[in-house]
Amino acid sequence: MTQLAVPHKPAHVPARGLARDALLVASALLMALTLYMVYFWAPTEQNLGVSQRIFYFHVPLGWIGMVSIIIVAVASLMHLMTGRQRWDDLAYSTAELGVIYASLILVTGAIWGKPVWGVWWTWDPKLTTTLVLWFIYIAYLMIRAYGPMGSQGRRFTSVIALIGAIDAPIIYMASIWWRTAHPALNIGPAADEAEAIGSSRIYITLLVSVIAFTVMYVALLIERYALRKSESDLDELHQRMA
Amino acid sequence: MTNFTREWHRGPALRVALLGVLISLALVAWSMLNGVAALSPAQQGSDPEANLPFLFAVFIITWAAFFVYVFYVSRKQREMQAEIEALKRALEERDRQPSEQD
Repeated sequence: MTQLAVPHKPAHVPARGLARDALLVASALLMALTLYMVYFWAPTEQNLGVSQRIFYFHVPLGWIGMVSIIIVAVASLMHLMTGRQRWDDLAYSTAELGVIYASLILVTGAIWGKPVWGVWWTWDPKLTTTLVLWFIYIAYLMIRAYGPMGSQGRRFTSVIALIGAIDAPIIYMASIWWRTAHPALNIGPAADEAEAIGSSRIYITLLVSVIAFTVMYVALLIERYALRKSESDLDELHQRMA
Repeated sequence: MTNFTREWHRGPALRVALLGVLISLALVAWSMLNGVAALSPAQQGSDPEANLPFLFAVFIITWAAFFVYVFYVSRKQREMQAEIEALKRALEERDRQPSEQD
């Protein structure tokens, strides 16, 4: 009789359920704090009015969108070097989340652009390079869905992720390298705090917002990664059944 | 998905309600944006609160996107766990049958 080995622990959820629930609760609490600060604590900026508060959503989304592509690239590089499935699982999960964040960057940016610039969209370097990032994420997911299956598909998308990561520093530095209507950098090593942030309350609110969105991102990434592992377990079980 | 989020979406009625809420929110956001976009810059500039709908639109769209994504991941995880359990049972059953025949 052949022994059919069942994956030792296919249900990844219950084993780490408590820690993940705690992370989700922390994320919810931080978000509640962020919303209070955005709507009631942070002052209204004099020139832009109430629409400036979009900044507290748009900047963290942009930050995470760029961080995502770097995580995808690092995980893809590790997958290419080691051939381990878990790196590819991480890259895929991050890319799926990345496309959501990149879409939200573009949408929230367009909604902010209308009252400030008078147009929904302009071919500004920062906006255009962000759109390129969105296309890179879409290309990654489309090749995974419709391209070669198995290890070949994984290698193709790993290379795309590495190429795509080049776009992250270009987006970040776009407002320095080119003449752009986009506001100055607010976070990161090249941020110009004196020019971009007028009030310490604005700065603190932005900081809390970035932390809250980052915690939520980590929570979502863990959930998506667990789902990806379940997909792998399911594939393994299907192969054993065949 | 985790225990408490798994409980969110039991039953088709809740899914339909969720979809209805999201469509309503999208329509509200769209109508608000259309209304404000129709104002001239001079009209908008005279009132610091004129751009409030843009802020709410961003808020609604961002949270709707996250909510839909969590719902999608949660549902898929639940379905997948059920399928994994069913396959495990089937494998164990298949494993047991030859030994019973022996």
